[in-house]
Amino acid sequence: MMNHGANSQTISPVDPNSLEGRYVVDTSQPQSSSYLPSTTGSEALSWTMHRVDIQSTESTYHHDHLKEPTPRNVQNGLNATSLASSSTLGTTSASQDYSSYASYSNPTDPYGYASTGYPGYYNGYQQQPNHSYSQQQPNHAYSQPLGAYQNTGAPYQPLSSFQNTGSYAGTPSYPATYYNPGDYQTAGAYPSSGYSNQTTMWSDGNYANYTTHQYSNYTADTTSAYTSGTAVANSVNYQQQYKQWADYYNQTEVTCAPGTEHLSVASTSNQVNSVPGVTTGYPNSSSQPPSSFTPSWRPESTSSELSLQGAAAVSGAHDGYWKQGTSSFFQNHHVPQNYQPPAQTVPSLDTRRISKLQIPTNPRIASNLALGLSKTDKDSSATGAAAAAKPAYIAVSMPKQSDKVLSTDAADSILKPGMFPNSLRFYVERALKRCQDHCKNDPQMASCQAVMKEIITKATADGTLHTRDWDTEPLFPLPNPDCANKESSQSSTPVASLPKYRRSPSKRSKSRWEPLPEEKLVEKPASVSNDNVKFGGWERKPLIGNSESKVDAFSDLKYSLSEQKTVSKSAQRPLKKQRMADAFNSAENGDASSDSDKEQSLTTYYSGAIALANSPEEKKKRENRSKRFEKAQGHRSESNYFKPKNAGAGNLYSKRASALMISKNFDDGGSRAVEDIDWDALTVKGTCQEIEKRYLRLTSAPDPSTVRPEEVLEKALLMIQNSQKNYLYKCDQLKSIRQDLTVQRIQNQLTVKVYETHARLAMEVGDLPEYNQCQSQLKTLYAEGIEGCHMEFAAYNLLCVILHSNNNRDLVSSMSRLTEEAKKNKAVKHALAVRAAVTSGNYVMFFRLYKTAPNLNSCLMEVLGFSSTGEGNDQKDSDGLEECVEWLKAHGACLTVDSIGEMQLDTKASSSSLYIPEPEDAVSHGDASLAVNDFLTRTSL
Amino acid sequence: MAYLSMGEAHRRITDYLNRFSDAVFSQDGPSLKQLLSFSSNSPSLLALADALNVFQDANRLIKQSEKYSQYGEITAPLFRSLQSYRLGNLVDTYSAFEKAANAFIQEFRNWESAWALEALFVVAYEIRVLAERADKDLASNGKSPEKLKAAGSFLMKVFGVLAGKGPKRVGALYVTCQLFKIYFKLGTVHLCRSVIRSIETARIFDFEEFPKRDKVTYMYYTGRLEVFNENFPAADHKLSYALMHCNPHNEANIRMILKYLIPVKLSIGILPKDWLLEKYNLVEYRNVVQALKRGDLRLLRHALQEHEDRFLRSGVFLVLEKLELQVYQRLLKKIYIIQKQKDPSKAHQMKLEIIIKALKWLEMDMDLDEVECIVAILINKNLVKGYFAHKSKVAVLSKQDPFPKLNGKPVNS
Repeated sequence: MMNHGANSQTISPVDPNSLEGRYVVDTSQPQSSSYLPSTTGSEALSWTMHRVDIQSTESTYHHDHLKEPTPRNVQNGLNATSLASSSTLGTTSASQDYSSYASYSNPTDPYGYASTGYPGYYNGYQQQPNHSYSQQQPNHAYSQPLGAYQNTGAPYQPLSSFQNTGSYAGTPSYPATYYNPGDYQTAGAYPSSGYSNQTTMWSDGNYANYTTHQYSNYTADTTSAYTSGTAVANSVNYQQQYKQWADYYNQTEVTCAPGTEHLSVASTSNQVNSVPGVTTGYPNSSSQPPSSFTPSWRPESTSSELSLQGAAAVSGAHDGYWKQGTSSFFQNHHVPQNYQPPAQTVPSLDTRRISKLQIPTNPRIASNLALGLSKTDKDSSATGAAAAAKPAYIAVSMPKQSDKVLSTDAADSILKPGMFPNSLRFYVERALKRCQDHCKNDPQMASCQAVMKEIITKATADGTLHTRDWDTEPLFPLPNPDCANKESSQSSTPVASLPKYRRSPSKRSKSRWEPLPEEKLVEKPASVSNDNVKFGGWERKPLIGNSESKVDAFSDLKYSLSEQKTVSKSAQRPLKKQRMADAFNSAENGDASSDSDKEQSLTTYYSGAIALANSPEEKKKRENRSKRFEKAQGHRSESNYFKPKNAGAGNLYSKRASALMISKNFDDGGSRAVEDIDWDALTVKGTCQEIEKRYLRLTSAPDPSTVRPEEVLEKALLMIQNSQKNYLYKCDQLKSIRQDLTVQRIQNQLTVKVYETHARLAMEVGDLPEYNQCQSQLKTLYAEGIEGCHMEFAAYNLLCVILHSNNNRDLVSSMSRLTEEAKKNKAVKHALAVRAAVTSGNYVMFFRLYKTAPNLNSCLMEVLGFSSTGEGNDQKDSDGLEECVEWLKAHGACLTVDSIGEMQLDTKASSSSLYIPEPEDAVSHGDASLAVNDFLTRTSL
Repeated sequence: MAYLSMGEAHRRITDYLNRFSDAVFSQDGPSLKQLLSFSSNSPSLLALADALNVFQDANRLIKQSEKYSQYGEITAPLFRSLQSYRLGNLVDTYSAFEKAANAFIQEFRNWESAWALEALFVVAYEIRVLAERADKDLASNGKSPEKLKAAGSFLMKVFGVLAGKGPKRVGALYVTCQLFKIYFKLGTVHLCRSVIRSIETARIFDFEEFPKRDKVTYMYYTGRLEVFNENFPAADHKLSYALMHCNPHNEANIRMILKYLIPVKLSIGILPKDWLLEKYNLVEYRNVVQALKRGDLRLLRHALQEHEDRFLRSGVFLVLEKLELQVYQRLLKKIYIIQKQKDPSKAHQMKLEIIIKALKWLEMDMDLDEVECIVAILINKNLVKGYFAHKSKVAVLSKQDPFPKLNGKPVNS
């Protein structure tokens, strides 16, 4: 009921909220836009979904608190953005992990900042509602990050929500659910986790606000009811809110997300809010959660269906990723149709929620996709059950806060902002800071925000959002607060909220790194956005169980610790909590990634995905090294990653990305063992039919469309063997063949043939480095029992060791490895004879062997032989007398002509004047065979 | 296996646990050592293994009392290892033993004095031997043998524990020698370098302070490394040290040292007495020595061919092959002596034709160019003093000491 009242009150605030929300949305939209490019259409869909959620949340927020509205709005906006971003992320991930990843990294940072800033605001807000809240809020923020983590992994989200405990916990769980969908959409993808992180960041701020608001609203209801019934109610509310949000998002999207500005957005959002009656639904839900929810959902779903459908498509892929049931979430989210069913499912969700205190998170999920939610909840509980569960529980108590749902939405919106480039975020932050510094008046802040929105929308409109250098972009003149207010229209309250916002950001930005919790918060926010809502609800509860929630949040921040704690808590609180814990974990991962550099975030995502799989075992470890966000994240992301693989989204990109990520994860100290990686699943199957292909060293995962399958490679080899072109061309072609063979992991007679061909060609032109590469490859290939010209190359190998490396131990070992049969081989015999001639210094024998060399033995002897004849040059066979004389002169020998006219070498005089001249073809890098000109002259025969 | 009652099994296990903790409390190194020495196949250990196989829940016993559980980290895996050992599952034996050894190292770190060094040596020895046997099992099952490598890295850890200022440092050389054995077996002798460097350069180590046994082993292996590097004076020094300080009654060890010392000595012009080769069963060198004495190139080549595998495996093949130049020198010297007997005034003018003829008698077909080349190298390597009269195909030898002796210096100087 409180919610209802709040809602009604907030109607006016709604505008501010909406403005804020818009702001967030705007930011998110730009982000979304950025995401979209990377992601496919599915992304867009996902976005819409998120937006819808956000809107709903916003509406709820407004309703919830008039006074608080601004903060709430802000939070909502944040949440919304976060949600949006998360959603986008999810979608993006679904479409293409890569793109999503990239976007993630960027978004995360900004988010983190934003989140940092938010916490401050929240704190302030919280103070208004409750001092305890403010304190809690930080905690919540932390926990939220956790939630975000959870979001990344389905399990994680739950955790985060739980951890947030109190309102936060609840919110996190919700966010988690939301995020989960988002994450799932992302394909489960790790990217999604990253997104969630970003979102979490945003959501943190939002959460704080939300939580407070929610608390106030909820507290009455929830506190008592929280444990069970409230949770359900909350969940219901959430769902409704989500739908509303979805609507909002849709609208916002239409407007051009970022650009729309406060007015348009606000109007849309407002309308949406009012239209959906979601807010009402929320209150209802809180009081009468299920019933109200279903209705609200349906409308929302319809509005958001388009987006959802797209999302659904995406989600399909995601589902695969999220085997645990996150997939189901995704589907729900994505598919509008699903949504409608969800209305039906909503009840089930509610029941779930009821059953699980943490359920609120589930409801959120449900709100996203009721059907999916139920599954997700289960999944989440299953995955992160223990850790998440506890936080979730706390949240559960909080759940009463329907506001939480809103907050989640806000978080979503925030997440969307995550789409924006970091530089832009900084820019915004700068601008806001300035406002704070100069005028601590809320209106001005609001106006600033409005201006910022305009700027951003413009940038988005003309496509310069990502190309513009925000770091150097001049700050716009401080707007007249009044004007701004006017502009913002209806946003007087929002303004207030905005200022708070800004203030908090500034503080947070400073302390960005200092408080891991903050960062985590930021990270969490993404997931949090969903979570936030829940959290908000939770937070209130947290007051009682704040310590727990805080602890959880902190622990989440610390990663492992939080997870463990959550686990323990979850143990106390059944499986549901576990799911939450999982969600948290995932959220944490995502958060961690956001905290860390973009790259790190990416890696963390992947690692996190992997980690999810590992998480149970590793949780303890993580706790021990609570400070090591990245690793935990990495693990989680890794687990996610794996899931995507399993899903077999069929995205080669994702596979490759995962492979890359895996490697990165390993670098990060990921726990996954290399042997656990299913390389077969990662192996590229080429589809290119071109016979000719230039060699280009891979700098990214191979693209199957540019990789030639085996039969084409065979043709290519034949073509090269019959080609009349020079060595440079052939070498280039052979290298590309080798590359294609390697990336497809083809090791058979063709491979041997390719390497043999290349080795021979390299020998003919004296390209020793290339020859050595081939030889070492051949060694292993022969060792695997693949047939080829084993003897011939054994002889080459011997010659090379004898004449080139001059390593006695190598020589002895390669000699002792020769079989009796090999020793009878003509080529090997020859090589051994050469060895004997060299060790005994019998140059005469050496040159005779040179003349009778089988195969290409003479080429190797040539490469190395002539350089070793220096001191014995007086023995030299004088078949090419003139050449010899020239050579001797070049080396400073004293030649005289005796009485008979025969050329003589004055050894006594020469002994002091002999030298080795600088080779004329010397090149700076010391390898003449790499000098192109020389190469061309020698090879273009 | 005779029937073993549960009570008896229980008694044996608790007895072992008692002895273990007593040995630690009283810092009784020798007793502790016996408790760890698997490959001694001592009856008491075998009995314990049987008991463990009967009484499956030894871990519960360990946890039962504070006294036992204190070292449960060591004894629990040790029991598992012993069980597997008794059952012939060496791979598991090794894995469990490594766990126990790791726990032991942890404890060892905390013991101030060096009383447990002997026990540590046993651990180091056992882990190497078990790893070798486990690898053999793995290889016969077609799996990649990797245990010895793992043992190597474990021993490096042990080396790190010992390489300090305390009284434990005298144990470092023993571990080093175990590492050498592993590296030589694995063929990764380049890994020896880091250990050698720390032994020879670290100030905490005084070489003379180490036990004689370890010094001999150390010198043997580093001497072998020098043989690989064809650094004959250093190899001679190290191997001679090993020979002089090793247990004169351990003929197997002496033989191992001689196996490398003889080629080294031959390379610097010192030939062994025939009885030495007889006594230590090194007859594969006999023909090589004979060839050097007679200047019989054919005999040398036959000897090398005959024992090629063995020489290649021990890594002295190339060293022995390089003796060829000394054989040429001996051949020329014989020709010179005969010429001197016939006509002292022209003895120093050696026609290349004569050398070709001598080689032909040895069934070595070489033409003028080749012989000229060889003689040039002999002159270049200071095995012969003289110069060429190219046109008349004559090598003119110095009238003073035309065939300088190596006198303990390697050929290449």
